[in-house]
Parts: sequence; C-alpha cells; structure tokens
Amino acid sequence: MDRRKALKFTGSMAAVAVAGPSLLSILQSCKNETRVDWQPQFLTMDEAAFISKIVDMILPRTETPGALDVKVDIFIDKVYARLYDADGQNHVRKEIEKFNADCISDFGDNFVNLSESDQIKVLEKAEQNSGQFGSAVWGTAVGNPEPVGFYRSLKSTALWGYFTSEEIGENVLNYDPIPGAYNGCLPLSEVGNKWSL
Amino acid sequence: MPNFNIDADPKHTYDAIVIGSGISGGWAAKELCEKGLKTLVLERGPIVEHPKDYTTAHLDPWDMELRGGLTPEQQQKHYKAIRSGFIGQDTEHFFANDEENPYTEEKPFLWIRGHQMGGRSLLWGKQTYRWSEMDFEANAKDGHGVDWPIRYKDLEPWYTYVEKFAGISGEALGLPQLPDSHFLPPMELNCVEKHIKKRIERDFPERHMIIGRVAHLTQPLNGRGQCQYRNRCSRGCPYGAYFSSNAVTLPAANATGNLTFRPYSIVQSIMYDEGTGKASGVRIIDAETNEDIEFKAKIVFCNASTLSTTQILLNSTSNRFPEGMGNDSGELGHNLMDHTYRVGALGKVEGFEDKYYSGRRPNGIYIPRYWNIDENSKTDKFLRGFGYQGGGYRMGNSEAANRKEFGGDYKDSIMKPGPWEFFITGFAECLPYHDNKVYLNKEVTDKWGQPTLSIDCEYKENELAQNKQIQEDAVEMLEKAGVKDVLGFDNEHEPGYGVHEMGTARMGRDPKTSVLNGTNQIHSVKNVFVTDGACMTSNSCVNPSLTYMALTARAADHAVKELKKMNI
Repeated sequence: MDRRKALKFTGSMAAVAVAGPSLLSILQSCKNETRVDWQPQFLTMDEAAFISKIVDMILPRTETPGALDVKVDIFIDKVYARLYDADGQNHVRKEIEKFNADCISDFGDNFVNLSESDQIKVLEKAEQNSGQFGSAVWGTAVGNPEPVGFYRSLKSTALWGYFTSEEIGENVLNYDPIPGAYNGCLPLSEVGNKWSL
Repeated sequence: MPNFNIDADPKHTYDAIVIGSGISGGWAAKELCEKGLKTLVLERGPIVEHPKDYTTAHLDPWDMELRGGLTPEQQQKHYKAIRSGFIGQDTEHFFANDEENPYTEEKPFLWIRGHQMGGRSLLWGKQTYRWSEMDFEANAKDGHGVDWPIRYKDLEPWYTYVEKFAGISGEALGLPQLPDSHFLPPMELNCVEKHIKKRIERDFPERHMIIGRVAHLTQPLNGRGQCQYRNRCSRGCPYGAYFSSNAVTLPAANATGNLTFRPYSIVQSIMYDEGTGKASGVRIIDAETNEDIEFKAKIVFCNASTLSTTQILLNSTSNRFPEGMGNDSGELGHNLMDHTYRVGALGKVEGFEDKYYSGRRPNGIYIPRYWNIDENSKTDKFLRGFGYQGGGYRMGNSEAANRKEFGGDYKDSIMKPGPWEFFITGFAECLPYHDNKVYLNKEVTDKWGQPTLSIDCEYKENELAQNKQIQEDAVEMLEKAGVKDVLGFDNEHEPGYGVHEMGTARMGRDPKTSVLNGTNQIHSVKNVFVTDGACMTSNSCVNPSLTYMALTARAADHAVKELKKMNI
C-alpha cells in the first residue's frame, strides 16, 4: 500500500520537478549572474533561479531554442502552482532544499553559486542517482517501477514544457495537426525530427 | 445538424422512452424513431451537439494553459475515474463528476461514467468485434451462469445491419472464434508490427496478429468524413469519423422528426402499472431544477449503461416488485463481469531505427483468442480464453527523460524519435458469478438525494489463472519475436478498469434464473427492454459494444412488431 501511494505521488509529481537557489545566494554571488526576470506564482525568487539554471543546463540553446527561450522555467512554476496540491508543493520545496544541501556538503555552496564545472558534476551525479521512469501502457505504469527521484521528475517536467511549447511544437518538431492518412512505414530521413503531436 | 427538440410533454404518452443516449440508447432512439415511434430520450447530462460542442477538438497542447494537466480541483472531481490514467484537461468534461455521483466499493471496482448526450460513446476505445458461436454456447457447455437464450445465428443479420451503418474497418480472416464483420478497408500495421506479426505467426501457427477492427471510417460513409489520423477521438470527432451516438445515431433519429431529447433528466425509476402489468412510464428528477416529473410511454428501453440500468431497475419498486422491477429471480444486480486488464508484456525492438510513421492511428493490433477454441487448443488450466490488444511505436518524453544525459548534444538528440517499443496487453473473459454483485445503498445518496450503488465484485480463480497465462504467453511471444528487454507485467487491476462491465440483469431462457428474455424484454414486464451491457449473460473476451448495437437493433425491431400486434 505504501508503495502504491508512493507511486501515485510520483505519478502526479512526474508532471513536475523542483530545484531552487536562494535570493541571498544570488545577491552574494558574482560567479553566476543568475537572474529571475519574471514573477513566480509558487516558487520563491531563489527557487525560481535554481529552476531556471537547471533547465537551462538540461536543455541549453543550440541551433534550436533552449528551455529558457520557450519559458520552461515559468511553465514549471505554473505546474507547481496550479497542478500540485499542498502536499506536492511541500514535497517540491523540501526537495529543492535537499538538492542545495547536497551541493553545499559536496561543493560548499548552493547550486546556482557553484562553478559551471561543479554544476555539471552535480547534474551528472543526479542523472545517476535519480532512478528512471518505468514503462507505461495507455496511461498506467506497468512492472512495479520504483518512484523516481526529484531530479528525474524535474527533467521530465522540463521536457514536457519544452516539447509542448508553441515554438518547439510548431517550428522545430514536425507539426501536422491533421495528417489525413496513416503511413505505417517510411524512412525517418523523410520526416527528420519527431512528430510534435 | 438541426437542434434537438428538448420540449418533453408530461401530458403526452410517447410511443417509446429511451433511458440514456450512449451506444445502445442511441441505437434504440434511431431504430424506434425510424420505425415511426414518437420517442423521448432521457439523458442525465447536458446536450453535446455534434460537432459544435466538441470544445477542445482543435486545441494543441500550447493552446491549453496547463498543457493538458489537471488541477487538484479537477482531480478531486474525478477522484475515482482518474485511476484509469486517461483523463486530461482536454477530456475531463466528458467524465462524470465522482463527487456528485458517489458509489461504494465494497471491494475495489473502478466505475467510469459519462454523463452527457452520447455517454461513453464519445470516450470508448472503438475496438469492434463480433462475438462468436463459442461465446454464446459457453455457459451451456461448461455450466457457468445460465444459457444464453440466443445463438450467433440470431444476431448475425443484426451485426451486419449495424455494421453497415456504424462503419467498421478491419480485415476479414474467417476465424471461427472471431467472425468477420462487414468491413471497410483495414487500417495499416506499421513496420515493426508487420515484423512481429510475421514472427509470431511463424512461431505460433495457430495464433494471428491483426490490425484492430475499429468503428472508424476509413472511407466516407453517409455524409460522415473518414478518419484524419489525429487521434484526438475522446474530445469528440469533428469529422464524425468514429462511431458515437452524437455523430451517427442521434442525428439519424432526429432527422425523422420523431425524436424528443430531454437533457438533465435523471431517471429515478420506471413506473409500473399494477392494473395492466406493464410499465407506464418513467419518473425523473430534473438535474437543474430538482423537479420531479413523470413521462408516459407505451414501451421503455433502458439503456443507462450496465450498472446505472440496474440501479434504476432496483429503485423501481412496487407492490408487485418490492425488490426491483423484474426481479422475480433474485438475479437483478448479480453476475457482474468485466474483462481483466493490464496484464501482458512489452519490450524494445531493434533494427528499425531508420523507420518511422506518419499520422496518429487511433488503433493498435489485436491477437484473437487461441486457447480453448477446439480440441487442439484445450487447456485444463482455465475455462474460456483471452485476446490481446497492443501496438508498436517510437518512444517519447519518458524515454528521453530517462537517458542519463543533459546539455546541448542531448537536447539535439531528443529531437529525433526514441527507440521502438512494442507491447501486448490481455483481456480475459470473466465467468458470471452470482456473488459478484451490486445493490442499492440508501445510506450514501447522490447530489439529488437518490440511493447509490454498492459494488461487490472480484476476479476469482479462473480469471487469475488466465492472467497468469496471458503474461507467460506474452513474454514468450515477444521473446521469440526478438523483442529486447522484455518485461512481463500484471498490474492486478480490480474489475472496472476494462470498462466492459456486463451483466446484472441477464438474459436467459428461464424467468426463475434470469431477468430478461431472448428479445431483451423483462420476463414479467414485457414492455420494458434492456439492451445495454446489463443484459449480458456471459462476457466473452472481446469488446462488447458491437454486440450491444446488434442486440438493440434486434430488440427494437421486435418491440415495434409486438406493439403493432398489440402484444405489449
């Protein structure tokens, strides 16, 4: 029963993720010019800066827009504010705190204040330690997966926000709202990027 | 599509009242109206007029503020149905409000309901299969439940009749356990599915893997457009390409001029006339005004959906029927069945990385039953059998999130589709057990003060033995087909997840052991017909909706003939 509860919780969390720097740390920092130029609905300014930084590292701008270009951080804040209940919100807050506490114990400061090389080390470790989503069939998980950790959940929410943004969905991925037909086998090279819908 | 006449007149005696407007109620309305009966359809929820009320049909994710996510308030409103995993911001308005319409799970049971014009015909999976002679003979042969009062030959012409109007796509195979329908062209398997089909049919010559047979148009029919492969069916199809009451049967009923469609009409009971020994009409509560209103009719079709139909009958008490209308046998509310759900296997398929598909096909594959269909396929592990649904596709966000990478190269790589995944998930037949039941709960009332249902139902030895076999066979088939990282699974879902609830007012030959006769009339109240899932005497392993359609058309034909002969 506890396991099912945990799974359920993770399920609702899977839509979301967390992280956070503190305003104080931002003010104190001159290494990383982390700024939040939007008003979060749920996150504190510190937490928002943390989310912004981490999603920018996961999905940076390349030849295509990055997470911040399509406001993934703002979307994640909205997810926490509007789709999470109080328990979920508290969980997020604690996880951000814990993430930063680990950064402090490993590298001496909150995530946003670390050097880029240390930040990369933190994310590399988080990738190893955050579990993985199990398989799902028609919307329900199968095979008794372990709940994923906070970082994996945040990454998943970032991907959700990124791929469902209008810019990526219409202009970067292949957008075809009314395909009109099904072709079950064609060369990937004829399509290029994946379908957005 | 003209607006519906919603002006129902309590002083008028209608030729027919149809309770509910889902798959079977829509068919009852169409058939009765087309045969000239002035018909009143009573619908519990609002009108959903095709296509103007499909408010989310054209929304892309970025058009929805929360990109499809449900708020805690919306989750609470659907606190039971949300277990199913298929409610989103784009469809939640088509799922009933669980808070206003409570039910009690004596044992875990998921009851998915759609309270609007069209009911769950807007939400269904559209998998559409004829039942076979072995389904109708099953109870008589192994002694579980009572014998069906009909056989395949009784229903065969009615299957053809409804298929020609509904539009069913599929491939004819000539299998005795899965009779062919009158088909529109089949949808296409994708490259991975074709590959696995070849391997399974090579390794297991007695098994078949086919494209799902579905109630989607693959060519235009009667003014309806063909499938556009958007896979946004549950929001309502603006093209009318899949079968729903809203797009197909109710417009046909309306076109006759014989239809009155009253929304927000919660049926409280069917009224019984002790003098004539017949039903005299239906008592409703107006969901908006809470007003009690009675409507009169010569015949009543009860198509409220399996459990709601039985709830109405149980609540329809009189001196003659103190335990519910037609409940002389004591079987009303009993023999509840569903198909087992979410047992199977999945894995990754290699070698097709350079292949993709276009279009979002609202359909998958089907593996028809292969156990206990003849002498060679008999097993002593369980009675009856199961089939699989499934499909192959390239994986998306969850796979991308699982990769232990981040940064620019990672981001560029996940612009491409993920690995191919293939799964199959079984649906097993459930035996009819008297102690799998529902009954009225007067302690728990709904928003309108009406008694609700308690549901006491579980899978037993025969179903669990089939689930074991489903998983074993699934893993074996996929592994032999070369699928990698094969994961067998059994979610041990309670009944209801299959959303194929059947029984509780079964048909039968003997009034002492059944509620309905061979033409779906209540044995003891011949002008009341039940043709939704409540009437089912057994539950096969294939999806039931097509059989509800055929039973309804057949019963409506019988009803009109009997009316003309003044027999009812």
